[in-house]
Amino acid sequence: TIGLQVSSGLQDLSLRDRGGRRRDFHDLGVNTRQAMVHVQESKTGFSGKMIKLTTNHFRLTSRPQWALYQYHVGYSPEMEARRLRSALLFQHEETIGKTHAFDGSILFLPKKLENKVTELFSRTRNGEDVKITVTLTNELPPTSPTCLQFYNIIFRRLLKMLNLQQIGRNYYNPNDPVSIPNHRLMVWLGFTSSILQYEENIMLCADVSHKILRGETVLDTMHSLHSQVGEERFRDACAKELIGLIVLTKYNNRTYRIDDIDWDNNPKSTFRKSDGSEISFVEYYKKQYNIEISDWMQPVLISQMNRKRGNVQGSVGLIPELCSLTGLTDKMRSDFNMMKDLAIHTRLPPEQRQRELGRLLNYIQKDDNVQKELRNWGLSFDNKSVSFTGRIVQGEKIFQSGAMFDYNPQFADWTKETRGVPLIRSMPMDSWLLIYTRRNSDVANTLLQSLFKVTPSMGIHMNRPSMIEVEDRAEAYLAVLRNEVTSDTNIVVCILSSSRKDKYDLIKRFLCTACPIPSQCVLARTLSKPQTIMTVATKIALQMNCKMGGELWSVEIPLKQVMIVGIDCYHDTVSGKDSIAGFVASLNQSVTRWFSRCVVQSRGQELVDGIKACLEAALRNWSKWNKSLPSRIFVYRDGVGDGQLNTLVNYEVPQFLDCLKSIGTDYSPRLTVIVVKKRVGARFFAEIGGGLRNPPPGTVVDTVVTRPEWYDFFVVSQTVKNGCVAPTHYNVVYDTSQLKPDHVQRLTYKLCHMYYNWSGIIRVPAPCQYAHKLAFLVGQTIRREPDTALSERLYYL
Amino acid sequence: MDKNFKEEFRQIIKFEPPLYKQRHQFVKDLVEKYKPKKVADLGCADCSLLWMLKFCSCIEVLAGLDICANVMKEKMHTLSPLPVDYLQPSERSLTITLHHGSVAHKDPCMLGFDLVTCIELIEHLEESELKKFPEVVFGFMAPSIVVISTPNSEFNCLLPRVMLYRHPDHKFEWSQAEFQSWALETARCYDYSVEFTGVGHPPKGMEKVGFCTQIGVFFRKCPQTGESVQSEKPMEAVYKTVFKAVYPSLKDEKYLQNAVISEVIFTAQIIKHRLMSKREEYSDDPERKSKFQLSMDYFSDYLGKLVVEKNMEPFVSGNVVYIPLTTIFSFPKVNRLCGTFEKLCKLIAGKVTLSSDGSAVMFNIEHENEEN
Repeated sequence: TIGLQVSSGLQDLSLRDRGGRRRDFHDLGVNTRQAMVHVQESKTGFSGKMIKLTTNHFRLTSRPQWALYQYHVGYSPEMEARRLRSALLFQHEETIGKTHAFDGSILFLPKKLENKVTELFSRTRNGEDVKITVTLTNELPPTSPTCLQFYNIIFRRLLKMLNLQQIGRNYYNPNDPVSIPNHRLMVWLGFTSSILQYEENIMLCADVSHKILRGETVLDTMHSLHSQVGEERFRDACAKELIGLIVLTKYNNRTYRIDDIDWDNNPKSTFRKSDGSEISFVEYYKKQYNIEISDWMQPVLISQMNRKRGNVQGSVGLIPELCSLTGLTDKMRSDFNMMKDLAIHTRLPPEQRQRELGRLLNYIQKDDNVQKELRNWGLSFDNKSVSFTGRIVQGEKIFQSGAMFDYNPQFADWTKETRGVPLIRSMPMDSWLLIYTRRNSDVANTLLQSLFKVTPSMGIHMNRPSMIEVEDRAEAYLAVLRNEVTSDTNIVVCILSSSRKDKYDLIKRFLCTACPIPSQCVLARTLSKPQTIMTVATKIALQMNCKMGGELWSVEIPLKQVMIVGIDCYHDTVSGKDSIAGFVASLNQSVTRWFSRCVVQSRGQELVDGIKACLEAALRNWSKWNKSLPSRIFVYRDGVGDGQLNTLVNYEVPQFLDCLKSIGTDYSPRLTVIVVKKRVGARFFAEIGGGLRNPPPGTVVDTVVTRPEWYDFFVVSQTVKNGCVAPTHYNVVYDTSQLKPDHVQRLTYKLCHMYYNWSGIIRVPAPCQYAHKLAFLVGQTIRREPDTALSERLYYL
Repeated sequence: MDKNFKEEFRQIIKFEPPLYKQRHQFVKDLVEKYKPKKVADLGCADCSLLWMLKFCSCIEVLAGLDICANVMKEKMHTLSPLPVDYLQPSERSLTITLHHGSVAHKDPCMLGFDLVTCIELIEHLEESELKKFPEVVFGFMAPSIVVISTPNSEFNCLLPRVMLYRHPDHKFEWSQAEFQSWALETARCYDYSVEFTGVGHPPKGMEKVGFCTQIGVFFRKCPQTGESVQSEKPMEAVYKTVFKAVYPSLKDEKYLQNAVISEVIFTAQIIKHRLMSKREEYSDDPERKSKFQLSMDYFSDYLGKLVVEKNMEPFVSGNVVYIPLTTIFSFPKVNRLCGTFEKLCKLIAGKVTLSSDGSAVMFNIEHENEEN
């Protein structure tokens, strides 16, 4: 029999209503604020000076008393064909009105029918009489989750009406692409959009989005890889370059992720169709799409389906020739010239970004069909974005060995200010190794001379290292490490000739697991320019000092007995197997020393399972250092994807609490858990001198564009040279600290000053960045848990 | 008009592939055979036949017509170009238009078609509409080929769930004789020939009931000039256009230019890359250092059997690499896109950095050395 066909947009809606599984990207319905009594009244801070801001949010205006009415529609006798059901129902347009959304059984109307139950009578052309019963099941207020989803669906309809192309979650304009022929790239301008209930209004948050598309097929890429690397390394190179990329196909409007390459199959191989029959790819594409596959020797790409799509479940095979690449590979990202060429088009400064957004709103205002659709539903959008005041909190003072510095807030950087000042804690380099190849012996000497020049003022005592020349082979490096590293070795410095990862990986793996000693790898190229060598040597000296357990600077932390935790995840997209959770926790009052652990978790799993063990170990170490347990714990949790908030709140937070309970019955520290999100749609612009600028670092936003059901705020902490600065979103999901929101905001901002690999303010609190670095190193390079002997040093920088 | 709907009734007789797919396949085979450029589907419903036809490379104009705009709108976006169509514009041009209107009315937008398909359409027409239908399709539109399919009522005895008609909206269902006499009369009247066939074979021993779906394929006897038709009948548009999609095509100068520029720069990059890596290899040899000349063999795989003339050799001077346009033009892909050398020069003028005499693509190589 024919099942009810449900249009894709409404399907999402109705599925949700029926309790089906659907990922809610906006984390609607996760109400964490209600459990926190101290922020019921207000969650806003007060310190700092005011700044006038605009944003990329546009108010949704609906007529007063707007509501969406949800009806169930039944037929007697039962009508199965959806089209017939629609046709019969819409014979009564004078009753139900011209504006409706109907998926075959659920009807949404912008107006309320006279009666709760309306009976309508239709006659089929066949002469059969049908009774239609339209029953009101729900009266949805504008702020109900179903309604919000409904707005989003309607808005997507509008974008479609404007002939924008959907790629992934967003819509793009295919008509004016920017092409960058030097790199065979094409950039489409598009928009991300979401409509949500914000503090006081329902608003559309729209942002300019750029889709990077490539004018070549996967097969083209394979060919050029083949000519670059040769037969022997071809398959490896393909896997490295292609796995994890998103492709578009020639024949449908879907995106697929390449999860694997099946070299044993080719277009002549067969696959099982949804009806169970076997067919070869060649035959299938010919029959279905009239497409002739020209290369019958190419392998088959494998894409795993996350979600059941129709009857297809598991994985699908794709033909490289029919797939176009989107996005950038890691290799492309590291291509300086390419990124420079791209940045011209994608890094829009504030004014230009707002102009592009204005164009979208303009399209919407000007298109008659779109306006009609909006009018019918009684909806409209403000065409001016929301303005409000934010606060710039006071800059921090940087302390370094008795000296105190202010930094220029415009640059958010204190490299110059702290130059030549002794570090808080400098580690001696009495016994260390400098390993290099013959070709780089000059470079090694230059580095050594420069280090001798820069270290004394930092207070680092440095002896001459054992200088060891090696052959440029990974095994040669390893042999030297085996023979030369002793328990007295402070650090190992290796000068590498190329950015090829194999040597780096081997060295790091050995020195993080088999023989736990801090290590520093330097590319010969970075040392080759005389004009920058002193800067580079300074940075290397600082980094090495941190890796050996040193401390650089600090900011004032007013809270006592506090432990700060940072967590982030790394997902291996290439081998697609494990995820790594990095965990760091502060050890001292000035939060200048950090304990670290990591957890290796199974595929695709985001939420950390082994977190209990990490927290326990962190508490043990904290008490070892401080002779007591912390009375306050702050957890900054990064790497939580859209739609995972609910799981985090219901699963991960209880794990923290369990762990604390298990320490002792009399131990109940105050706990604050803050979810940190770097990828958010919101952008803020400072109105300065009649123009729009990036807001200065320290800008805090906790009104208007935050969510009423959350205790959340935004902080702009970093500065950018090009384009628009992205604010970081902080969502306090659990808080027994009893601290004022202002203090939580200030603490958060302070922690953005504490990342030792950058003498400036960064985008996230330092513990998040440390956790990220750790997870990245373990995930990319070491692939297993590093030796715990290193756990109190920043060896992963 | 609901083609899928009927399949529900195949309880005992089950067609494989399903009947509606067989009908579509029938049309597709016809398109493959006669290669029409302009095809219209009357009663296009959810556009599934049009969607299938858009992949037929001979078709440049596709039009759909239906009396119900909502049904068309439901899936009309499947007829829009895909992102990949923009990324790799095809050689052919393709325009797809959907009209809302009745087959009982004439509209000039339906003139000039090579093939008109009416799949499971006529049985939905009221008597008055059916009367006007031949004049509109055969007299007015007058395409070279018309395909009409309709249920064969003689087959209904094999479909146990069918009481009167296969679909509640059907106004009639004809026997083979009824359909054929209507078709022959229509063909005679408008000077067409007609061949009868069908899809959905009857089971063994029941052959006399005929195909489940009967099909008439009509061929216009005398070639007609489209012009005379149009000038005779200056008509007002009565259909409402509900959808129009113009596919990106290399026939459009804008897309051709983009494609050519992209290919020229990409080709030049390949040559430059090879030239530079070759140069590095020889960099110890002082005689080769000042001016390196590209050896013939090393990109012979690209040039195939093309003869490399003297003025086609790329060279380096100072920090600039010069790659003659003639070299680039000799690459098959560029050659195929442009056709003539003059066209190549015209398309890239002002868009690609050329030497002062306009004969070579220039690249500055200073920056790259820094980055590597």
